[in-house]
Amino acid sequence: MKTELSPRAKVLVYGTMCVLLIPFVFPTWWMVTSSFKPVSDIFAFPPQLIPRSFDFTTYGQVFTLQPFAKQYWNSAYIAAVVTAGTMGISSMAGYAFARIRFPFANAIFMVVLLGLLIPSEVTIVPLFQLFLKLGMVNTHWPLILVPIFGAPSVFATFVMRQFFISLPVELEEAARVDGLSRFKIFTRIALPLARPALASVAIFTFLHSWNLYLEPIVFLSSADKFTLPQALTQFTDAYGGPMWNIQLAAATLTALPVLIVFIIAQKHFVEGLAHTGLKG
Amino acid sequence: MSAGHKTQFWTIARRDSAAGYLFIAPQLAGIVTFVLLPLCLVFWYSLHEWNVLANTFNYTGAQNYRMLLEDPSLPAVLGSTALFSLGLVVLNMSLALLLAVLLNQKLRGIAVFRTLFFSPVVVSLVAWTIVWGFLLQKNGGINGMLLFLGIEGPNWLREPVTAMISVIVVQVFKNVGLNMILFLAALQSVPNELYEAARIDGAPPFKQFRRITLPMISPTILLTSIITIVGSLQVFAQIAVLTQGGPGVSTTVLVYYLYQQAFQFHFFGYGSTLSILLFVIVACLTFAQWQLRKRIVFYEN
Amino acid sequence: MSNRINLKAFAAALAVGLSLAAIGTASAQEAVNLRMTIWSANEAHLKLFNDMAAGFKQSHPNVTVTYESLPFDTYTTALTTQIAGGNAPDMAWIFETTAYDFVNSGALYPLGDKLNAIQGYNLAEVSPGATERWSKGGTLYAYPFSTSPFAVFANNDLIRKAGAKTPDELIKAGEWTWDKAIETASTVGRTGKGGLIIRDFNYQNWQNLAAIWNGFGASPWSEDGKNCTIGDKPMTDALSFIHDAIFKNKAMPGPGENVDFFAGNAAMTITQISRASLLPKQNGFEWDLVPLPKGPAGEYALIGQAGIGVMQSSPHADVAAEFVGYMTNPENSAKLAQFFPSARKSLLNAETLKKTNPLLSQEQLEKVVIAGISNGKVIPGHTGFAQIQQMVRAGLDAVWTPNADIANATQKICGQISPLLKR
Repeated sequence: MKTELSPRAKVLVYGTMCVLLIPFVFPTWWMVTSSFKPVSDIFAFPPQLIPRSFDFTTYGQVFTLQPFAKQYWNSAYIAAVVTAGTMGISSMAGYAFARIRFPFANAIFMVVLLGLLIPSEVTIVPLFQLFLKLGMVNTHWPLILVPIFGAPSVFATFVMRQFFISLPVELEEAARVDGLSRFKIFTRIALPLARPALASVAIFTFLHSWNLYLEPIVFLSSADKFTLPQALTQFTDAYGGPMWNIQLAAATLTALPVLIVFIIAQKHFVEGLAHTGLKG
Repeated sequence: MSAGHKTQFWTIARRDSAAGYLFIAPQLAGIVTFVLLPLCLVFWYSLHEWNVLANTFNYTGAQNYRMLLEDPSLPAVLGSTALFSLGLVVLNMSLALLLAVLLNQKLRGIAVFRTLFFSPVVVSLVAWTIVWGFLLQKNGGINGMLLFLGIEGPNWLREPVTAMISVIVVQVFKNVGLNMILFLAALQSVPNELYEAARIDGAPPFKQFRRITLPMISPTILLTSIITIVGSLQVFAQIAVLTQGGPGVSTTVLVYYLYQQAFQFHFFGYGSTLSILLFVIVACLTFAQWQLRKRIVFYEN
Repeated sequence: MSNRINLKAFAAALAVGLSLAAIGTASAQEAVNLRMTIWSANEAHLKLFNDMAAGFKQSHPNVTVTYESLPFDTYTTALTTQIAGGNAPDMAWIFETTAYDFVNSGALYPLGDKLNAIQGYNLAEVSPGATERWSKGGTLYAYPFSTSPFAVFANNDLIRKAGAKTPDELIKAGEWTWDKAIETASTVGRTGKGGLIIRDFNYQNWQNLAAIWNGFGASPWSEDGKNCTIGDKPMTDALSFIHDAIFKNKAMPGPGENVDFFAGNAAMTITQISRASLLPKQNGFEWDLVPLPKGPAGEYALIGQAGIGVMQSSPHADVAAEFVGYMTNPENSAKLAQFFPSARKSLLNAETLKKTNPLLSQEQLEKVVIAGISNGKVIPGHTGFAQIQQMVRAGLDAVWTPNADIANATQKICGQISPLLKR
């Protein structure tokens, strides 16, 4: 359908897209601008699209009310470690399920796929007990180990498997005839070709870890270990009353850097995702 | 001679098997420890009455499962769950497809639109939901905009129908970008010759879309719909922040009900039983979709 | 079962091991690490608590107390998750609404004897009304360290600007009744500002409405907690009154409307007096603090409570109980009182209170704080409160619509919660 559109059709397409954009862009715009407003203006009706005045003190308070910089670091490094770990584990498993013939491969793959079907709410209590036994409650280990090895990585494995299946076998066959070991074929031939799929796995995994909400609430209890989504809900006065503008300032701080990184790297992002091999 | 014996034992097939197991070992170990074992434990808990505060843990057999059948709230909860998932999947898939088709046009600045439509995906879920919570208030931003158009908006989060619409729509805008990109990729992989042939035959654009585009991208549609449905059954933070399951129980979906029973009412035994129910539902749905794939989905070869 | 016990033993061993490692000395006396879960993350609060931990360490050098701030909204949930996972704290703050759950379940260590044994503790000066909810069979299971009366904060600037009568004027005229209060709120509400706000109610925490319906002699269930009285006349009268205030008179913000009193956008708010700290420090307004208005059933007061309990499962429950005794002894109670009003009679006088509540006048302290703490009823609670709360909330949603059938809705609620009340 890649044909030149008539001018009328162009106007129609642009117009439709502009209208559709409103619910995608307005919330972010409102979040950023409201973080500068005094509380009384946040609830002004009709809402102010541009703040009357800019109050930057809320951003200072974000850092004094909580160890926000530390929490930022926590979220960032956990997401980074989880992403790297998942890329390793899942590309190996995905490759094996796609390419290597071994007994019960399909049965085992089905078992692994089970992980896709189990909401984290289902297993959170037993997991809590497990990590308590290991002395890892109120550490970041549960937030790192479970996503890398457990249910969240299954989707990544699935994506990698689909990708490797779609890759022509011939390249690897030649390498096998040359006597390369499986591991070498994997690291030298298959993995470099899998860059687009790896990119999408990285994006999915990073976002999943970055957004994790229930697990940090259950596993972490001291403020300096919190992750960002958890910290966001903590901007309350001493009696649990929300401090709206500070909360919005914190929300802006969690969203904006990722958005900026995304906008800069969006081409790779989108192309990576487009090559997930999720074509059936 | 032992070397010769070794080569005999390590046939290519055996070596491959060993490599295969080594490759999947970390993932499999993780699944056993962090998924299967906890799942078995949840089933074990579901056969017990577990009072957390009193620290009692008594075997009650199928008691919790009988309770499940008699639970007066459950039909409403399952109804809300079905409504939510159905609404989410239909809206998400159709909007994603529409956006993908629009973005597939050769137009200047299309990358900017693509970026903007995708941007909510990278905004933190809790931040996104908190902001929508503000906007959906009676005197919030959405109604402010509607007022601008001369429409008096409803009290979104306080009326059963609009509350359900709200939680669905908030979730759709957050994540539709993912499906949009997947569809876009699928659209771009449809060979252009097919369209050209159709154009020579004089088929109108809509017919082209139905006859060529849809069948060609049907594998992507199936996969994204499975992922979207399974995801829709796990939605928690949005409901917790926006409606707390209300008004009434109109937005109490199964996951949220499970959370209430286990973590708020402290019925861990019954909560575990609900977990098992949720698991069975997800498994059945996925199985059904997978079966459907054989009939509907079009494959080139 | 055995598995769970092993788990606990393991956790205990771990805790001891960690604390030994942390101290790193070969102290002959066993090091004891105590953890208290709290719902405040306020710096000033924490500083005071840490000072108390340090004070206790002077007489008990082997005991280290740490505080763990859990989010207010999900506090009880987070606490029970810890308990379910076998990671219970040694001490925990408990909300008045869930007090029955904790006291009746046997999760708490009996505190009464331990406190009475402390010299000069004088538990007797805490009124029976304040300890009732925290006791079972005559034994105190948690100490109500905060007993905070509900009162009306008024924004006199806003009220005068709208041409309405301020609460103070109404009190002087002997007309401080709910009807008149709503009249004032309504006049302000019609100017586009907020009228009266029941803080933290938000159409979720309906128990805070007790601040109104207690004036109608209404309560959600009978004294013994066994029978639902939401469908009875006093309650339906009170709910009709509130319904009219919201939908007819615009005297209270409707569902889904957010107005903040402390930002200067509403005429009045009902909340606990401790919220005085939220009053704006600059660009403020002329505010007043007055008791709850008189209802059809006469004058009344309402208090919110918070207790500290020691977990039965704690390996050092006895030491923890000693610490609770230290933290809430008369001397420390006076310090706590600057944030958390004390139910100790010796602290209930205007001079003492003035020192810790500099924002309030002598008259306000006497009329609101002292009278409130002495006569107030505690906001409703029940065993299994979380579930009952949720069911009533869902049922009341039918009341919060313009054309509600209140009689029908309340009957339905009673039908649903009756089996739970009897359990």
